[in-house]
Amino acid sequence: MTAIETTDLTKRFGDDVLAVESLDLTVEEGEIFGFLGPNGAGKSTTINLLLDFIRPSEGSATVLGYDAQRETQAIRDRVGVLPEGATLYDRLTAREHVEWVAETKGVDDDPDAILDRVGLDEDDRQRRAGGYSKGMGQRLGLGMALVGDPDLLVLDEPSSGLDPNGIQEMRELIREEAERGTTVFFSSHILPQVEAVCDRVGIMNAGRLVAEDTIAGLRESAGGQSEVSATVETVPEDLDLTAVSGVEDATVDGSTITAVCSTPSAKMAALEHVHERTPVLDIHSEDASLEDLFNRYTGDEVEQPDSSEAESAEVVA
Amino acid sequence: MSLAAVVRKDFRDVRRAKLLWFVGGIYTLFAVLFFYVGSTNENPDVLVQLWNMSGLAILFIPLVALVAAYLAIAGERESGSIKYLLSIPNRRSDVVFGKFLSRAALVCGAIVLAFGAGAVLTAALYPALEFATFTRVVALVLYFALAYVAVAVGISAMTATRSRSMAGAIGYFFVFNVLWIQGSAFSVVGALRFVFEDTLGIELAQNTELFVQSLSPATAYLQSLRLAFPDGYRDIPPADPSTPFYLQPEFMLVILAAWIVLPLLAGFLSFRRADIG
Repeated sequence: MTAIETTDLTKRFGDDVLAVESLDLTVEEGEIFGFLGPNGAGKSTTINLLLDFIRPSEGSATVLGYDAQRETQAIRDRVGVLPEGATLYDRLTAREHVEWVAETKGVDDDPDAILDRVGLDEDDRQRRAGGYSKGMGQRLGLGMALVGDPDLLVLDEPSSGLDPNGIQEMRELIREEAERGTTVFFSSHILPQVEAVCDRVGIMNAGRLVAEDTIAGLRESAGGQSEVSATVETVPEDLDLTAVSGVEDATVDGSTITAVCSTPSAKMAALEHVHERTPVLDIHSEDASLEDLFNRYTGDEVEQPDSSEAESAEVVA
Repeated sequence: MSLAAVVRKDFRDVRRAKLLWFVGGIYTLFAVLFFYVGSTNENPDVLVQLWNMSGLAILFIPLVALVAAYLAIAGERESGSIKYLLSIPNRRSDVVFGKFLSRAALVCGAIVLAFGAGAVLTAALYPALEFATFTRVVALVLYFALAYVAVAVGISAMTATRSRSMAGAIGYFFVFNVLWIQGSAFSVVGALRFVFEDTLGIELAQNTELFVQSLSPATAYLQSLRLAFPDGYRDIPPADPSTPFYLQPEFMLVILAAWIVLPLLAGFLSFRRADIG
């Protein structure tokens, strides 16, 4: 069974704002799906459509096999949601929030066990949420999503407001949940947070799904490129870096030489090539291929998603 | 049962709001003041205090109820917490009717508290409690309060932001508690007279004017007080057998019932279709 399936899902706001356009998205049961795209790409609108916060202009969606518009109660019974940009109830404590969700879902989860899992301190649980930091609120929101052991977790920008430590904990929690068989669907506008945990990703841009693939698949279509740069005192005349096997392109910017390599092992060869000719003062290496790809998919120059294949081919060539 | 969960959670949340305690406290303070000062008269009569309290209610209850409920839904939409509410098994109807129940319980609690303080003072300082009249007055004030809570929740369900809901609540108060019930040419009756008598030359029956005036919950409540006090008490006219049914005090209860049901229904129908973005 599929956890989420949208068919030709379209949402217009007014006459001229097309937030989501003919979206066909499939999230399989049990997978961790990263829903990517820059701010305003239509990620939250899609999530709001799935949760019946807003109604589609055209098309339809199912969540866990239930119609997103007509069978909302069945969906809400089985889904845990961390909404984006939602404030908590200022006058209720963390424990009261979790108890309320448990009562509404008709389950008898232990609030403390859940708040332990999301790492909200014992003292903070007794306090009213009005005084929480963004990160604490995000932890509590995640805790509320975990109540009732849902079959599907929908997390909208779960790492916003979290410090690096919190982001790491969030990732572990997502993995734990996935191991328990929970499908996790989460959105993010930051790629590195996604590639570490996701089985598959979908990339949204300007209301359209411009890519849907595994991380490995995306890497492949990115050409598996990586870059290495060396800062030198003087750039030698007879550099000719592209003569090195595996180096596809070389650029010089002031005293920095950058080599684009088709394989990671070519990076060292390129560095040695430079170092034989001039002393290297500093080096910098990055595996930016996926990020580049993401930027290409979501950048302004990609107006037609159909042309993205042609573009990536161009870069590889 | 998610309706009960909405009610319980909302009640727990909103009873901690300081503004409400403040407004409710003032009403209780007035009650204590009225009942105490009244008892120092030569011949203290609790009916006088009940009369004063039920008159004060015309101004006070709408304020308490509107303040207590205008943010019930619009406030959650503005802050986004409504997404938590609707992410778990709550129907939109649970939200509208649950909010009404919790806010109504809160406002009614404040009213009972105020009159309770009055009752204690009465038992201590007055020759008679006049229990039957006392109970009827409290019941009518509570019923009146329900109408305003329903209006406020209805407005709140139809608006997406705090400011719009506030504008709606103030606008409603101004139209139905000020314009509607005052006697000048700027009232609704004045407007009707202008249209029908001055412009169209059609004479308006006095009963028609009275009925139109009674469509305001405040007037309907005021007219319904005839059910609580003895015939002929104060400004209350003696029963007139020629009064048409739609001006009978019992019918005023029907008008108030409509003010409970219709705003909630309108609010629900609007909120049911609303985009929560």
